[in-house]
Amino acid sequence: MYAFEFVKPKTVEEAVAALREGEAKVLAGGQTLIPTLKQRLAAPEKLVSLAGVEGLRGIRTGDGVVEIGAGTTHAVIARELAGAVPALAALAGDIGDPAVRNRGTIGGSLANNDPSADWPAAVLGLGATVVTDRREIAADDFFQGLFTTALEEDEIITAVRFPMPKTAAYAKFDQPASRFALVGVFVARLDGNVRVAVTGASENGVFRWQAAEAALGADFAPAAVEALAPPPAEEMISDLHGAGDYRAHLVKVMTKRAVAACG
Amino acid sequence: MTVAVHKPHPHDSAPLHVSGKARYTDDIPAPAGTLHLAFGLSPAARGRIRRLDLAPVRAAEGVVAVLGADDLPRPVDLSPAHAGDEPLLATGTVHYLGQPLFLVVATSHLAARRAARLAGIDIAGEKPVLTIDDAIAAGTDLEPPLEWRKGDAEAAIAAAPHRVRGRIEVGGQEHFYLEGHAALALPLEDGGMEIHASTQHPTEIQHKVAEALGLPMSWVRVSVRRMGGGFGGKESQGSALAVACAIAAWKTGRPCRMRYDRDDDMIITGKRHEIRIDYEAGFDADGRLLGVRFAHFLRCGWSTDLSLPVADRAMLHADNAYHLPHVTIRSRRLRTNTQSNTAFRGFGGPQGMMGIERVIQHVAATLGKDPLEVRRVNLYRPMAAVAAGEAAQTTPYGQPVEDSIIDALVDRLAREARYAERRAAIARWNAGSPVIKRGIALTPVKFGISFTLTHLNQAGALVHLYQDGSIRINHGGTEMGQGLNMKVAQVAAEAFSVPVEAVRITTTDTARVPNTSATAASSGSDLNGMAVKAACETIRARLTRFLAERHQCPEEVVRFSEGRVHVGTNVLTLAEAARAAHEARISLSSTGFYATPKIHWDRTRGQGRPFFYFAYGAAVSEVAIDPLTGETRILRVDVLHDVGRSLNPAIDIGQIEGGFVQGAGWLTMEELAWDERGRLLTHAPSTYKIPVASDRPRIFNVALWDGENREPTIYRSKAVGEPPFMLAISVHQAIAEAVAAAAGVPFVALDAPATPERIALAVRNARAGENAP
Ligand SMILES: Cc1cc2nc3c(=O)[nH]c(=O)nc-3n(C[C@H](O)[C@H](O)[C@H](O)COP(=O)(O)OP(=O)(O)OC[C@H]3O[C@@H](n4cnc5c(N)ncnc54)[C@H](O)[C@@H]3O)c2cc1C
Repeated sequence: MYAFEFVKPKTVEEAVAALREGEAKVLAGGQTLIPTLKQRLAAPEKLVSLAGVEGLRGIRTGDGVVEIGAGTTHAVIARELAGAVPALAALAGDIGDPAVRNRGTIGGSLANNDPSADWPAAVLGLGATVVTDRREIAADDFFQGLFTTALEEDEIITAVRFPMPKTAAYAKFDQPASRFALVGVFVARLDGNVRVAVTGASENGVFRWQAAEAALGADFAPAAVEALAPPPAEEMISDLHGAGDYRAHLVKVMTKRAVAACG
Repeated sequence: MTVAVHKPHPHDSAPLHVSGKARYTDDIPAPAGTLHLAFGLSPAARGRIRRLDLAPVRAAEGVVAVLGADDLPRPVDLSPAHAGDEPLLATGTVHYLGQPLFLVVATSHLAARRAARLAGIDIAGEKPVLTIDDAIAAGTDLEPPLEWRKGDAEAAIAAAPHRVRGRIEVGGQEHFYLEGHAALALPLEDGGMEIHASTQHPTEIQHKVAEALGLPMSWVRVSVRRMGGGFGGKESQGSALAVACAIAAWKTGRPCRMRYDRDDDMIITGKRHEIRIDYEAGFDADGRLLGVRFAHFLRCGWSTDLSLPVADRAMLHADNAYHLPHVTIRSRRLRTNTQSNTAFRGFGGPQGMMGIERVIQHVAATLGKDPLEVRRVNLYRPMAAVAAGEAAQTTPYGQPVEDSIIDALVDRLAREARYAERRAAIARWNAGSPVIKRGIALTPVKFGISFTLTHLNQAGALVHLYQDGSIRINHGGTEMGQGLNMKVAQVAAEAFSVPVEAVRITTTDTARVPNTSATAASSGSDLNGMAVKAACETIRARLTRFLAERHQCPEEVVRFSEGRVHVGTNVLTLAEAARAAHEARISLSSTGFYATPKIHWDRTRGQGRPFFYFAYGAAVSEVAIDPLTGETRILRVDVLHDVGRSLNPAIDIGQIEGGFVQGAGWLTMEELAWDERGRLLTHAPSTYKIPVASDRPRIFNVALWDGENREPTIYRSKAVGEPPFMLAISVHQAIAEAVAAAAGVPFVALDAPATPERIALAVRNARAGENAP
């Protein structure tokens, strides 16, 4: 590592103020940021820790909404949402290993927007709202490609607001070595519509598979997906863990699995 | 009745392993002032070094010295084959991405690694030769192709009523020993050097260090307490670290240590050889093989290393357990601009066997037969029939197979694992299962035991009996978790008829036992057990003679049994006998030596008896696949394996289980990938997947064949290190059966590793009729 300044503000306002001075970065669970610093892929002058900021942690449910504080760890979500929204709990419980789940946060995962991360699929799949220190961003506007989001440099996610689905499920095909998603598909039935969000597969990060949404809107059954052509293989990631056409094929298989899991 | 051998003693270090107290090379406390080393690595796979600016490295914090090839006291060739193509540091040209270019000596491990990244490196790159196809096109053979012939395969194939031909490609494998490479060099007051290294071959390290420093071997001492796994990866590849440490220690006069970070370890060191096998076979209506032709192509990496004997052993196992009356095996050993592939459990044998097992599967599918039927008609003639006077059948290299028990072993396994019933049940189950398909396969193993380089088949030992009756043994083998030290201690305990706890096991040390062979080729307990036994027997004979004289009785009445020394009706403890002998000025220390009998071998002609005996085994594996994603599960495995009369059934079963799981990893999930520049992409556990406890078969029944070695080996046991690895071929074959069932075709040419992607695509292609290789 190298020398940097470390601040630990108490409120969101102080944190934002700290972010505005110099080249600074927010530190949440550090599960992504610390390795990035170690590999010199980023070298901010200052880290602004969210560990002491009030009100960023915890889960509130009510009025057909689940609101999760940005600083809530995957482990807490897995434990506390098991009854209310099993799809989110299961997704959280399958991230990395216990150490990662006990440190890593939903806010960090979303701000990072790794193309193979799990949370972006849930947020886009449920059409959630990302709440920041200054505004509310719809999921459809939030994700803007690989490691890119609608967040401004000094903007902090404070919470994520999910609508309570009728049913939802996440089907993940692990890249066996790292257990990140080789392909993960989140399917949700909400009032009036079906959403299908895919992570791990695309060169452009998480995306909605609209053909599947339309087909499932008409007939919510795995057979409806069977009839579809998979998304175009040339838009899928092709790397050592899988060729584009394999990933495209998996998108279809995982979508069917998620639909079946919705019951 | 035995007191110590044939008993399931736990591994002597087990409590240390699980409590974290076991000391590995990098845990040895180093003296104050110890320096730390790191290599600067080539960023290109092939080319000429135009400029190597080490000034920024020298200027970095904590750096004490930086050495390039020109700064070495003399040119250093690390080649275990003395091929002269493995310089410690690159000399003008680079041959793979990751090749050590220079050596940083610094005050800490981190400082050395950091500084190693600072060099200004300018390489005039050339297009690297990376794949087998590249190497065939470029003709980069390490030696002219080797061809062994028995009979006339071409004519037999041409005359056969049925023929198949095809190709199988089998990937390499990273050793992934949990303890990475490490070494520590302590310069001595008189210019000598003491080395601690994580190596399977202390004598080779001693030799290479002596050569690098221009010292006699007697001035260099190498010791190894244990390794955290070796698997062949520490047979030759540890030399770089030990020699680097020795040179740096010699230059600075300070102790030097080095360990590879996991990424560096994977990027620098060689792996199992990837192989392509082209085959052609002619056979009759029963599936009897009449003529077979194999062409092997091995990816060897940048240097000769152990590639020639590895490729030879692939040829030596091209028959596996099957009699091939007419056969031609041709082998090309191809140099590529990648890590130098090296020894790995089985040493080419597993690759060779994949070829013939594929042939059997292909033949069976062509005839519409159960592959087990085809296997059975081709198995070598049984030992019993040979003993009854029938001629022994010979291997492709002319060795008569006199000890085959494989037919009876296969029969018993098939019966106990209910192979036939389950195969029928699986066919029914598959017919009713719309998606998931199952497959089952039984494959045999016949593995030749001995180093093919005949002179390596020797071992020495040094045994001390102390005057209090305690025993300390030294032998040339190294402990890498395989339980060698326990087995050898059992042999010593048996010789004196004392409990195994009375025997103290020590560090392997070239100053105590010289001129050792690598602990490799599964030979550890065969060779070192015999050498220790010989040493113990020498001491015991001296005690016997002494006690007989003292008690005025014939030597025949002196017996060592049940923890006591009986002299007629007098009963002594070993301590009493030892003390009395010591007071009578009898030496209680002895060396022992063993050289394997009967073996001889001519590798260019492919003729001789390279192996003292064969170890046998078989496995039945049942798998399920999901053809949509290509995921697999190993549902059940039954193993019956021949270790002769087991020296230690607990350790042997552990070796069988571990070998099987490692083999299954090789064939199903472990996949190496390089980019087009020759950069290894899979250099960490986040990208390279090895099997873990949850990947083991759900049901895993391992039994030992109840027999004894026909040859007079140590207590009639058989070697166990490598043979079980190849039992996992049954997993690959079962997957191929399931893939064929999913595609609705009789046969699918499935390559390895059978990763989910490869399985899903194989099903899809086979359904689309694109099956022909
Ligand atoms: C071994 C391992 C396995 C993993 N496996 C998985 C997996 O299977 N699936 C998966 O999805 N992920 C996986 N991860 C990633 C994990 O989920 C991380 O926890 C997550 O990506 C980042 O969360 P964090 O709290 O640690 O963020 P940090 O590392 O602290 O920060 C990540 C980035 O987000 C920014 N940031 C953090 N919080 C906020 C905020 N509130 N507002 C604005 N910006 C913020 C930081 O500035 C930084 O740029 C794995 C990680 C590891 C180390």
